Parts: sequence; structure tokens; C-alpha cells
Amino acid sequence: MISVQHVTKIYKNGVVALDDVSVEVDKGEFVFIVGASGSGKSTFIRLLLKEEEATKGDIFVAGKNIGKLTAWKVPHLRRNIGTVFQDFKLLSDKTVFDNVAFALEVIGKPKHVIDQRVPEILDLVGLGEKLNSYPDELSGGEQQRVSIARACVNRPRVLLADEPTGNLDPSTSVDIMRLLDKVNRIGTTVVMATHDQAIVDAMRRRVIEVDAGKVIRDQSRGVYS
Amino acid sequence: MTKRFEYLFREVTSGLRRNGLVAFAAVSTTFIALLLFGLALLISRQVNLMIDATTGNVQVAVYLTDPVNPQTVAALTQKLQDLPAVADVTYESKADACKKFQAEFASQPALVQGVSCDPAKNPLPASLRVKLANPELFGQIKAVLEGQPGIDRIVDNRALLDRLFAVTRVFRVGVLLVSMVMLIAAAILIANTVRMGLFARRKEIGIMKLVGATNWRIRLPFLVEGLFESLIGAGLAILFLFGLKVAFINPLYGTIRFMPWVTNHDVIAVVPWLLVAGAAVALLAGLAGMRRFLDV
Repeated sequence: MISVQHVTKIYKNGVVALDDVSVEVDKGEFVFIVGASGSGKSTFIRLLLKEEEATKGDIFVAGKNIGKLTAWKVPHLRRNIGTVFQDFKLLSDKTVFDNVAFALEVIGKPKHVIDQRVPEILDLVGLGEKLNSYPDELSGGEQQRVSIARACVNRPRVLLADEPTGNLDPSTSVDIMRLLDKVNRIGTTVVMATHDQAIVDAMRRRVIEVDAGKVIRDQSRGVYS
Repeated sequence: MTKRFEYLFREVTSGLRRNGLVAFAAVSTTFIALLLFGLALLISRQVNLMIDATTGNVQVAVYLTDPVNPQTVAALTQKLQDLPAVADVTYESKADACKKFQAEFASQPALVQGVSCDPAKNPLPASLRVKLANPELFGQIKAVLEGQPGIDRIVDNRALLDRLFAVTRVFRVGVLLVSMVMLIAAAILIANTVRMGLFARRKEIGIMKLVGATNWRIRLPFLVEGLFESLIGAGLAILFLFGLKVAFINPLYGTIRFMPWVTNHDVIAVVPWLLVAGAAVALLAGLAGMRRFLDV
């Protein structure tokens, strides 16, 4: 599903964020990317979204070489990738329903599809009762559920999560991980960057550790360190 | 399709509400710019009408000395008609001149009473009215007629007309320049509303990009917003032009004989130009405003 081949990323200011990284992620896998802040985790995620271009090497997502993707095709790449962030990125002037519907609206999905899929996905994340609440009225965990619902409502093949539990307390984090696990079991490939040791240890999934831009460990059913 | 328009409409109206003040500035600047632009076009039209009306029958008047000798008239007429610069020569007798005078000043009885058409007392001179094929070649006529007997004086109306045209030309170019400057100002303001709109909604735009909205999907509402502002300005400018025409030109109808004035039809003819100029400015400004901001 994701194939990163000898990728190097050097930012304009000379910082080497990734140094000859190669990673293969199969369809339906659940992968943790772990490492300290500044180790290159976020760069890895941004490269997959083509928010940044690799300086060297090739990246394939769902069989497409995204380095060769023209600018106007990038949106279509992103429709195959759901994204979840530490800060939720919800729109505070829209209800839960509208926040999730927004993701379908702006890619031109018709109303009947929106009316059907949005309640469905909100049920799945356990917010079926809170369609008309505003983000400010929700707890952090609930807000992250909304953002996961938004990431998944277009049924992406890959879900990228960048520190999704970074702002949450441990017990809420466990709930969010259960939800991501559920999304993974539906068949979505999940790549999650984190430095939450407890979670990684509890999940026992594949762990890729990066340090100073290099992969220093790739272990199935691994632990944090 | 309706869904699409609904979305566009919602985005555009919320955008206008959000930065009302700058939108207002953009609308009013566009209004003034296009009003001036329209004025410049109408002034050009007016000048053209006047040029047509006057060059169409530029008459050089050759006044003849009293008493008029029919042979002199015939000889002079023949000489003039032989010139290529001359289109037509007509003889206006003293009696004709008197009748014309009385008709022209019918509204002023005091003047009419002071002039008698009795052949013995008629003070008005006879003249040859010369219509020029090419008004530039007045010099030829002067050269041919100078020194001929029976001529009192030659009156050339072109000097007056030239001055009139020079003045209107300066005026027209001035108005056009000011309207260009205003259009540029309007473009900058529209670019600014677009930019402010983008800035106010950078979070939404970030999300739109993340979930795979196409660039045009993101840009279109902002472009339409700018277009909307400039077209409101254009609409106001058009209404105002009609208002100005009714208020200032209509009272002039018939005040000066043989002087044509711009009509409603002429005003309608400039409408498409204003709309096109407004739309072009808005689209260019919109694209300029969002450049940089929307790089993937």
C-alpha cells in the first residue's frame, strides 16, 4: 500500500529530516512510527501527503508514484488518504455533522451521499447522539473522534495519524486507540506517528523507530523501545 | 449542479459578510472607476457626434460686397467648384440671409424688428456657403479667393471647432487616465478582500486541501466574491451614468441648433464595456490576490 524507497528529505534551510529511508507497508497493516521530537516522524507523514516533496527517492501510495504526480492530481491522492492530527483541526463554527459533511462537500459528493454516510460514520465512532453539538461542547476525546470520522467518511485506503493522542489523557487515549484499531480492522491501512510509549507497548503492532532521520528499528509486534 | 451552486452561494455570501468594510471599499472604488470610465466613453461619443455634425456641413462663408453682381457670383462659384477640396457651393442672397436670420431669432422679437427685409434697407450680406470635402484644405480656398473682386471677407469656422475639439480631447484623456488609476486602485482593493478572505479562512482551506478538494473548488468562491463586488460597482456606475445623462444632458436637448447630444442608446452601448472592464479587473485581481496563498 505504501512503499518508501531510499527517500531523503533535506529542507531548504539545510536540515536533513530523513536520510535514505526505505519502508514497505502492506495493505491492512497497522504501523507505529516512533521517535523523539525532530526525529523525522512528521516529515514522513507530510511526504506521504505530498505536502512536501522528497529530495531523493521514490514514494508509492496505492500503487502510484507520488513524486511524479502533477499538481492537479494531488487532491485525488489525498482523497485516498485520511488524516488525523494532534490538534483535531475542527471548524468551531460548524456542528459535528457539518464538520464531517464538509469533507464530502468540498470534494463534490452529492447531498444524498452526505446524508447517508455522515450519520453512519458518526455512529461508528460513537458520536451518533452528538450530531448537532459544536466542537467546543465536546471533550478532547470526542473532538478527536469527530476528526477520525471526518478522516474516514470518504472511505480512504490509508489513515495517517500524527500524534493523535498527543493532547489526550491516558484513558481517553486508550479509547482513541480502540477506535483506530476498529478502523484498521475494517481494512484501512493505518500509519500512526507517536511518542506515546504506553500505547505502543499495549498495542503490540509493527513499530518503526526513526532517529535523526534514519530508520533504526523495524519490528513486527514491537514495543516502544 | 444545484448542490454546487448552493455551496458557492453560501461561501460567497458568508465571505462578503465577513469582510464587509473592505468589500464596501472595493465596491465603491470599482463604482467610481467604472463611472469615470463610462464618462470617458460617453465624452468620446459626444465629441464624435459633434465632429460628425460639424464636419458633415463645415461651411466656409464667403461674404460678398454690396451690391451683388450676378456675374461675380457665377465666376466665384465656378472657381470654387473647380477645387477638389470643395464639395458643394450654394449662394445665399441677401433676402435668403434675412429670412434665415428672422427664423433663427424668432424667439427674440427685438432683434427681428431691428432688421428689415426690404431690399433697400436689408443690412445682411449675401454670401457663398462652401461645404468642404476635406476640412483640412481650407488654405486652398483662401489662396484661390484672395484678391478676387466682390469679396468682403472669408469666415473660417474651423479655428473655433479645432479649439473646441482640443479642449474636449484633453478632458476626455484626463477622465480616462483618472478612471484607469481608479481601476487599478479597485483591483488592489479587490485583491485585498480576496487575500483577507483567504487569511480569515486559512484553517478551512487547510482542511479542504487535506481532504482532497481541488484547487479550483477552493478558489472559485473567492473569485466569485471579487467578481460579485466589482459587478455591484459596475451596476451602480451604470445607474449613475443614466442618472447623470438624464440630469445634465436631457435639459440640453434642443438648446443649440443642429447640435446632437448623446442619447440613452449611447449610454446602453457603454454598458457592456463597463461590465467587461469590471469583470476583467475582478478576475485579474482575484487571481493575483490568491497567488502564493494556494500553492499545494
